[in-house]
Amino acid sequence: MLADLWAAYQSSVGFAMVNVFFALSTYAVLSAGVLSFASVSYAAFGGFIGAQLVLNTGISPLLALPVSAVAGALLAYAVALLFLRLDGHWMALASLALVLMTRVVVLNAPTLTGGVNGLSLPVDLSLATLTVLLLLLMLVFHRLSGSWYGIAVRAVREDPAVAASLGMPARRLQTIAFVISGAVGGAGGMLLAAMLQFISPDTYFINIAFTMIAAVVLGGSYHWAGAVAGAFVFTALPVVMQAVLPQIQDVANGAALLAIMVFLPRGLIDPRAWRLRHAR
Amino acid sequence: MLLFVEQLVNGCALGSLYALFAVGFGLVFATLGILNAAHGTYASWAAIAALAAVQHLGAPFPLAVAAGVVAGGLLALLVDQIAFQPLRGRGGPAKEGGMLGALITSIAFWIMLDSLAGFATGQQSLNFPADSYPARMLHLGALPLPSMQLVTIAAMLLATAGIHALVRHSRFGAAMRAVGWNGAAAALGGVNPRVVIVVTAFLAGATSGLAGVLGGISTQNVSFTLGEGLMLKGFAAVVVGGYDDVRGAAIAGVALGILEVMSAQYLSTSLRDGITYALLLGFLLLRPRGLFGRAAFLRA
Repeated sequence: MLADLWAAYQSSVGFAMVNVFFALSTYAVLSAGVLSFASVSYAAFGGFIGAQLVLNTGISPLLALPVSAVAGALLAYAVALLFLRLDGHWMALASLALVLMTRVVVLNAPTLTGGVNGLSLPVDLSLATLTVLLLLLMLVFHRLSGSWYGIAVRAVREDPAVAASLGMPARRLQTIAFVISGAVGGAGGMLLAAMLQFISPDTYFINIAFTMIAAVVLGGSYHWAGAVAGAFVFTALPVVMQAVLPQIQDVANGAALLAIMVFLPRGLIDPRAWRLRHAR
Repeated sequence: MLLFVEQLVNGCALGSLYALFAVGFGLVFATLGILNAAHGTYASWAAIAALAAVQHLGAPFPLAVAAGVVAGGLLALLVDQIAFQPLRGRGGPAKEGGMLGALITSIAFWIMLDSLAGFATGQQSLNFPADSYPARMLHLGALPLPSMQLVTIAAMLLATAGIHALVRHSRFGAAMRAVGWNGAAAALGGVNPRVVIVVTAFLAGATSGLAGVLGGISTQNVSFTLGEGLMLKGFAAVVVGGYDDVRGAAIAGVALGILEVMSAQYLSTSLRDGITYALLLGFLLLRPRGLFGRAAFLRA
């Protein structure tokens, strides 16, 4: 019974773990006070470069992973240089525009991306490997959140002016946040490619952008664990709804999302609520 | 030359749809501070409502358009009150301004309304019956002018001029801008933000609905994909034109329509979207506040 259940939902667990990468990529910039959808672009960049590397040299996808991460980080650095001068609302719009453009670029660069037909990537990624990678990533975020960087970035998010007056270079911190986001997003893109074994222009598009942002906000955008929890909940939601209410699964999905946001506006994991409880 | 002018008119008509959509989207973004992912579904539902009015009630063209516009507005109002109202005044630091939560609830409504629209049209694309809208061809010399395109362009001009006058030259528009700047300060100044919010939501939904009905007729496609197509291009128009000025969004929408038609005619169809988005990127880098945007000064 339990084995059957595991067999049926094994791939969902895998996708949830990949979505954690995307959610943490979005969280990395959000924790610095920037709402950006550009993680999709890092994922596409990292994914296609990693896939080409694996296809052309035959190395293991795990070896391609660092390359994808570096590619994502470089792209993110460029995006940060160009977009960080925009203010909050514009930044969100600009990054969404970047996602739309990514698809056009992918479609029109067939030598790298296979164009409309996409790329098939016959590799095998075990769930155990994915779990280890995910634990490593969570360890990194845990260490980061307590570091000087983590504290400074939180101050920048809460009030950039105060943070600047305390000697925290807001722009530079946000650039670092972008680079972290790019590395995690690029690696996530590669892992998604390995999970799907096929990538096309539609793999990295609007739906994934909204998935990641919804996962972060759902889980709670004030702690990295929120992104992790949110990614699992957001991946599980459609699977559960399909099992329970197959006729109206999309509607039920939306309604559940709406209910969570209205009743838990700060997300499932909210450090402020913990602190308030402890303070009593 | 004749072909060029013909395509120019085609581009203007297509661009008018983008413009209408962009005006509503920008209005919500500027006044309510919400990046509304569900905005496209208003257009789909307005087209469905107008089609229902034609098929079941035998409504003539103007009434069908009115039905669609009102349906779009009411839907927007409903979404605003259910999805956005509970989030106002709580959550998040002021800079993000609850925008995050509203983005998620708008995604939730996007998913629901899209899927329901799929049910409403039986998962297929429906058509307006040929006698339900002005289909006559007018001729200006040798130039053929489909009357539906003229109606679309005229509707866009009227709606844009009306909303621009409302936002810039009326007391209510001043209240809207005040709420967009800072809701609490506006309330202290004697503005009732609740009323402003409700009216803005209705207006935005109504313009999106107008785009939906006209677009549904001219593209012969009434389904949930209608709103999605408008959404992507309308969004591009908002970025190029700037969300805090209605004129900018409208001009950018028309320009995008013309550009799209022209590049498909004279360059290549596959480059069409590429050119649109390259322009988008260029504008973001060179003129990040849109056509009519001005630098804002803000003291911390």
